[in-house]
Amino acid sequence: MTNSTMLDPLSLWKTMYEQTETNFSEAIHETLEKEEYAELLGQVQNGFLQYQDLIQKTADTYLKQMNIPTREEISSVASLIINLEEKVESLDESIDEAELNQKALQEIGKLKSSITRLDRKMNQILQALSTNKDQESPAVAPEKTTQENNKNN
Amino acid sequence: MVNTKESVESFIDTMPEDYKSEYKRYQRVMNILTREPEPEVGQTPKEVIWTKNKAKLYRYQPNKQKTKKVPILMIYALINKPYILDLAPGSSLIEYLTDRGHDVYLLDWGTPGHEDRHMKFDDYVMDYIPRAIKKVLKKSEQDEISILGYCIGGTLTSIAAALHPNLPIRNLVFMTSPFDFSNAGLFSNWLDERYFNLDLMVDTLGNIPAETIDFGNKLLKPITNYFGPYVALANRADDDEFVKNWSLLQKWVEDGVPFPGEAYRQWIREFYQQNKLINDELYIRGQQVKLSNITANVLNIAADRDHIAIPQQTEKLMDKISSKDKTYKLVSAGHVSVTVGKRAPTTTYPLIEEWLTKRSN
Repeated sequence: MTNSTMLDPLSLWKTMYEQTETNFSEAIHETLEKEEYAELLGQVQNGFLQYQDLIQKTADTYLKQMNIPTREEISSVASLIINLEEKVESLDESIDEAELNQKALQEIGKLKSSITRLDRKMNQILQALSTNKDQESPAVAPEKTTQENNKNN
Repeated sequence: MVNTKESVESFIDTMPEDYKSEYKRYQRVMNILTREPEPEVGQTPKEVIWTKNKAKLYRYQPNKQKTKKVPILMIYALINKPYILDLAPGSSLIEYLTDRGHDVYLLDWGTPGHEDRHMKFDDYVMDYIPRAIKKVLKKSEQDEISILGYCIGGTLTSIAAALHPNLPIRNLVFMTSPFDFSNAGLFSNWLDERYFNLDLMVDTLGNIPAETIDFGNKLLKPITNYFGPYVALANRADDDEFVKNWSLLQKWVEDGVPFPGEAYRQWIREFYQQNKLINDELYIRGQQVKLSNITANVLNIAADRDHIAIPQQTEKLMDKISSKDKTYKLVSAGHVSVTVGKRAPTTTYPLIEEWLTKRSN
């Protein structure tokens, strides 16, 4: 920071600002808080809007007389383009959804074939088990018979 | 022929050292205000991945390795430009997050034209945000998303999250976003429906000019906002780092966008004047907005010196949402300095990054 000198308008400004800021900020805030201020702001707003309306109407009348498109007319062309873009966007969304559905269908397809393979394997296991059981059955039967004979004895 | 500039400078050379340095400082201030080019903003590399009307969806640092699983979508306000989130290298939330492996996207609403004056909150919440979320999920190839909403962007995000409970939103970060308007400070006084002619304003102007919005915001602290920046510049014109940041921020402050007319009518009437959102009285395309529908993890950041979205406006959200994992954080900053400036990279950025990292894998 530079020291203040007699010829320093910036430092003078800063001092003024600091004093104003501290001394008047609160007073300004109190004013801004008042209902009267809101009312005044509303009156200024009305005046400003009436002026804007007058300017716009004058400009529109002039542009029409000069056969030059008004802001409204140009923006209606822009709206047509936006509507068209909206349709492209809808198509894009449909494609995205179709892609998503396609992926989902592919996943379901993969899941189906996995289940089918699993099903086949299960069948093979069951078949192998029953074959094994059939082969083991004659050997088990005499054993049981022997046990039964022993019990009977 | 006598060169006036040289004459003045040779005269200054004859003066004592103090005066010479004052003159140089004065010269520097004048150069900054009148001659120096505008600083470059938004320098983090990005690509556009989707557009709709004026809106653009950007993906940042697409070639950088993404180590955090859940992508982050940033939703900005309808006023000013979103490059405040990527102001300059070292002062960019986006750069900070992408450098730490986050996959960051930003929904930039663009600059509305006269043809967009009929745009409402309904359009943003129902047509833009859900679509942008789907685009992010598709691009990032993830099933869940984090959303960061700044200022009105956060309010929009909360409505979208409440209305679309089926969207896979895992985390929500709200940054200085107003939800409760029962006491909106000076705005509550100025926007009193007895004095503020809202309908005439929207019907006459169509879109509300950026200057009008800026005037309202600056009027909250008139001396600080209108003179403060120039006094600070005059005082610290020798400090290059300060001048650089000052120029960046001034560029952003003066680079506003118009507020779409119908959205403005809705914002003032249904939010500021009637406070519908927090009271479950807001309807968007006929659907009631219930903030209690929000179940995602929430980080709600407020700034203690914020005069635009004062902390009590943001805090109220915490009582309404159904999220089990929710954090409210009051940081020492203002509405803008929460994202830029000297302190943000050491306070706000790590706060957001660490909170998201814990919930992004």
